[in-house]
Amino acid sequence: MDRHQGGETIGITIKTLPEEELFTSGHTACGGCGAPIVVRAAMKILGPNTVTYFPACCLLVFGGTYPHNAFKVPYLHVLFENSAICAAGIKQALNKQGKEDVNVVAFAGDGGTGDIGFQALSGAAERNEDILYICYDNEAYMNTGIQRSGSTPFGAWTTTTPAGTKIGGKELFKKDIPKIMMAHNVPYVATASVGHPADMLRKIEKAKNMKGFRYLQIFAPCPTGWRMDTAKTVEVAKKAVNSGMWTLFEMVDGVITLSVKPKMEPVDDYLKMQGRFRHLTDEQIKIIQGWAYKKNEMDLKFVEAFSEDKKE
Amino acid sequence: MFEVRFHGRGGQGAVMAAQALASAAFQEGNYAVAFPYFGAERRGAPVMAFTRVDKDKIFSKTLIYEPDYIVVLDDKLTGLVDVADGLKDDGMAIINSNAKPEDIELGKSVKCATVDATTVALETLGQPITNSAILGAFAKATGLVSIDSIVAGIMDIFGSRIGEKLAAKNANAAKVAYERTSVGTCKGTMTYEKGGKWLPDYKELPLGLATRPMKTPEGLVGPGSFVDNKTGSWKTFAPVHDPDKCIMCRMCWFYCPDGAIKEVGEGDAKTLEFHLEYCKGCGICANECPKDAIKMER
Amino acid sequence: MVKRVVTGNYAAAFAAMLARVDVIAAYPITPQTFIVEHLSEFVNDGLLDSAFMRCESEHSAMSACVAASATGVRTYTATASQGLALMHEVLFIAGSAHLPVVMPVVNRTVAGPIGIWAEHNDTMPQRDTGWMQVYVEDNQEVMDMTIQAFKIAEDKRVLLPIMVCLDAFILSHTVEPVDFPDQDKVDKFLPPYRPDHAVLDPKDPMIIGSFSPPEYIQEVRYQTDETMRNALEVVEEVNAEWAKEFGRDYGGLIEEYKTEGADAILITLGTVTSTARDIVDEYRAAGKKVGLVKLRFFRPYPTEAIRKVASKCKAIGVYDRAVSFSAGGPSWIEARNALYGYTIPVINVLAGLGGRDVTEPDIRLMFDKVLEAAEKGEAENEIVWIGTRGVKP
Ligand SMILES: Cc1ncc(C[n+]2csc(CCOP(=O)(O)OP(=O)(O)O)c2C)c(N)n1
Ligand code: SF4
Ligand code: SF4
Ligand code: SF4
Ligand SMILES: [Mg+2]
Repeated sequence: MDRHQGGETIGITIKTLPEEELFTSGHTACGGCGAPIVVRAAMKILGPNTVTYFPACCLLVFGGTYPHNAFKVPYLHVLFENSAICAAGIKQALNKQGKEDVNVVAFAGDGGTGDIGFQALSGAAERNEDILYICYDNEAYMNTGIQRSGSTPFGAWTTTTPAGTKIGGKELFKKDIPKIMMAHNVPYVATASVGHPADMLRKIEKAKNMKGFRYLQIFAPCPTGWRMDTAKTVEVAKKAVNSGMWTLFEMVDGVITLSVKPKMEPVDDYLKMQGRFRHLTDEQIKIIQGWAYKKNEMDLKFVEAFSEDKKE
Repeated sequence: MFEVRFHGRGGQGAVMAAQALASAAFQEGNYAVAFPYFGAERRGAPVMAFTRVDKDKIFSKTLIYEPDYIVVLDDKLTGLVDVADGLKDDGMAIINSNAKPEDIELGKSVKCATVDATTVALETLGQPITNSAILGAFAKATGLVSIDSIVAGIMDIFGSRIGEKLAAKNANAAKVAYERTSVGTCKGTMTYEKGGKWLPDYKELPLGLATRPMKTPEGLVGPGSFVDNKTGSWKTFAPVHDPDKCIMCRMCWFYCPDGAIKEVGEGDAKTLEFHLEYCKGCGICANECPKDAIKMER
Repeated sequence: MVKRVVTGNYAAAFAAMLARVDVIAAYPITPQTFIVEHLSEFVNDGLLDSAFMRCESEHSAMSACVAASATGVRTYTATASQGLALMHEVLFIAGSAHLPVVMPVVNRTVAGPIGIWAEHNDTMPQRDTGWMQVYVEDNQEVMDMTIQAFKIAEDKRVLLPIMVCLDAFILSHTVEPVDFPDQDKVDKFLPPYRPDHAVLDPKDPMIIGSFSPPEYIQEVRYQTDETMRNALEVVEEVNAEWAKEFGRDYGGLIEEYKTEGADAILITLGTVTSTARDIVDEYRAAGKKVGLVKLRFFRPYPTEAIRKVASKCKAIGVYDRAVSFSAGGPSWIEARNALYGYTIPVINVLAGLGGRDVTEPDIRLMFDKVLEAAEKGEAENEIVWIGTRGVKP
């Protein structure tokens, strides 16, 4: 059974994106941060008839420090690990007040989403709460000073996976949160990237216009935590997709489509741009390359298995 | 007892400098503490750190309001933050600047030492990181700690964070800066907008801080009020736009994390306006422009 | 008005319906489970028109309540023991953001060791979260106080969340006759919740819960402290109004029972109060000058009322169903604090921990200890553990 309604888009593009800023300048993100690119665009699409929720994360701090705030729309923060349920609580209360038309969106980091916040996220998804959940994935706990998260990739330096003499960076692989969300059988799950804006805008707009639980995970590089040139935020995001380190797809009612077919360029270029991978040995780079190939292969099979024509 | 306040930006290593100074003083047999202004500032935002040194154990756990010395890692801050606020009349300012002390403008005229720590750092480290070089200037200008102790302090604090080899380079930066420091007296001609903080009493403060947009004598508060926060001072490089090359594709407008690029005009007269008062100088716009119509310049 | 024989859990659930709550978010835990089940029945039978969020944990249930309340609607949840402990982090938000969530808590021992019976070591550690706490004695009071709780919590002078604390099994699973207030009378007593201080509405944007530097938080603490103190007066007013409309007067912050001319007064909270009433009658009949004070509100703490009681007796005993290790029971600690400067003995009697039954002999012993202290003007033992094997009371 299709669980969603809507999802129609008028095809918002960079050209037609409204000029009005609902997430204003003056926020205090580090220069070149990927997260505000996501938030600024998403707020333009969601529009003023929106209530927002934020867990503890970089965005909470750089988006507003009392008494100042960059958001012009209603804004709630409660805690770190309850974004999905807080958004759901807001939505239920709005519905009770007859304000069914208000969009409710939670923006959360990868840690607040896939690690500590996963229980609330999974619960809200299972109940198909009518909210849009946007995870900006910067692959670590940045707000507390660059500690590893489940979303940190293999080999990456963080302050809790230092490049030591015995162990060089993270020894485990990136948790595939979007796939876990797909297993919840919610109306919409998609990945996006600040390096592919047209695709990102289309997905945000589509998710906005659907009902039920919608999950978007958007790749948003953090130049501070990734130890890289602030000018390269978008470039590195593009390279992640082109090398298969991050895959763009979407799932609408159980049908999965690949949004951009990975070119499977060697991962070296992508890794070399970032100081967090500076210490990697050839052996480690080989492991990462192997991971990208394997992931790509599995993704293709996955897409094939859940394609439109496999739907009965 | 002497007290030092460091002014820098998030990411410039003001805290490490404060700690290295404490370590240096400790190695000369003093008691010393160093601490950050506990904040949540991101990279680029103005930050402070403190060092307190005495012969005997220090009990005071407060911030430093009336320092004997201020150390400024980035001279652009002097136009922005009243770095000399509370500085004792017989105190001294140690500033990273290529200007002579006599040409420095602060909120008050005090003894002042300058060194071009950025150039020193570029020469010795290959990076414009000035937190070690400035300590050499501190040693030279104040004579309170020897340059040998500063070197030892840097080896101790930097060494445990960035490794022996890099620490040694930083120690060298301090030594070079020591030689290049000049001392004089700065001007007290700088005036600062006394913006002031909105500090209502508990009855005026919205219950539980649930706040609607409001105009206060100290500026906007509540939703959308961050527009008052001019982050443009964070930048080192600024974008320069060439309208002749520009095809108005809006990529830079879209990507700018700080919303610093605005579209103005209609039809053919349409062009871009760069709001440098917000631009942090990240360079994304220049990097992504398909027509090479933006250059980053110092 | 209808009278029915129901459990405390049923009364707590029914009161939510009478209060016309907009959003309920809850998670089951023994011995609160029936509250969630009854509410589910009410909703599924079309009796209760609330959004009912069947959450995946208490942490989420309280988070949902906080978010819904911040959006401007009346919210309700219920929990016990581990569930309350899991909510701990979220409770502070409701208190500091002034969100008047109402929550019956079925007092149950907190592990370890794991147990399911009555103890107050779940609610007592939450006293500094900015929540009001009222401890009740019977199922009628569960019903009445759950409704009153909304009125107190939503009062503009207060705007704080509140727990209605009822003892596990002794109330939650025990049936007794309860008067069911008429809906129209409750509607008159409790108008709809229409907040202005915290409402997430795109037509009137507001930031709630933003990251705050030290320049503001101390004032926020003072606001909570002041509104908590304001509640002292509001509790009395609401009690008086309830008494007038529904004919049941609970005395407000505390209830005094036969304290006139008493030498020895025992301060109790929760269900032990009921059995203690019988013992007071028995002792009074035997010519022993004892009296009883039922401490109803633990937050706000009724300092003045306790002082008044102390001015008219020779010794006080304070009963606790929880202990702050090495320091005595929390209710006693607070009473002694309130009575600083008073010279009469104030002793602590601890019993019923982990849900052990507090028997009539136990309570006689409590009164005997207080009588003894009243006579001697001092106590041999300030903290008396009653019924603990190997410990001389
Ligand atoms: C219960 C709890 N544990 C720990 C923290 C500290 N904390 C705040 S934000 C954060 C990391 C956030 O990481 P992520 O969600 O990835 O967002 P980012 O900062 O990277 O944007 C942590 C560990 C907290 N606020 N609450
Ligand atoms: S630390 Fe990273 S994610 Fe956080 S504000 Fe800076 S660049 Fe953005
Ligand atoms: S990206 Fe370049 S060409 Fe496009 S609008 Fe900006 S400056 Fe003009
Ligand atoms: S340099 Fe960065 S902040 Fe400045 S205008 Fe360009 S993109 Fe925006
Ligand atoms: Mg993160």
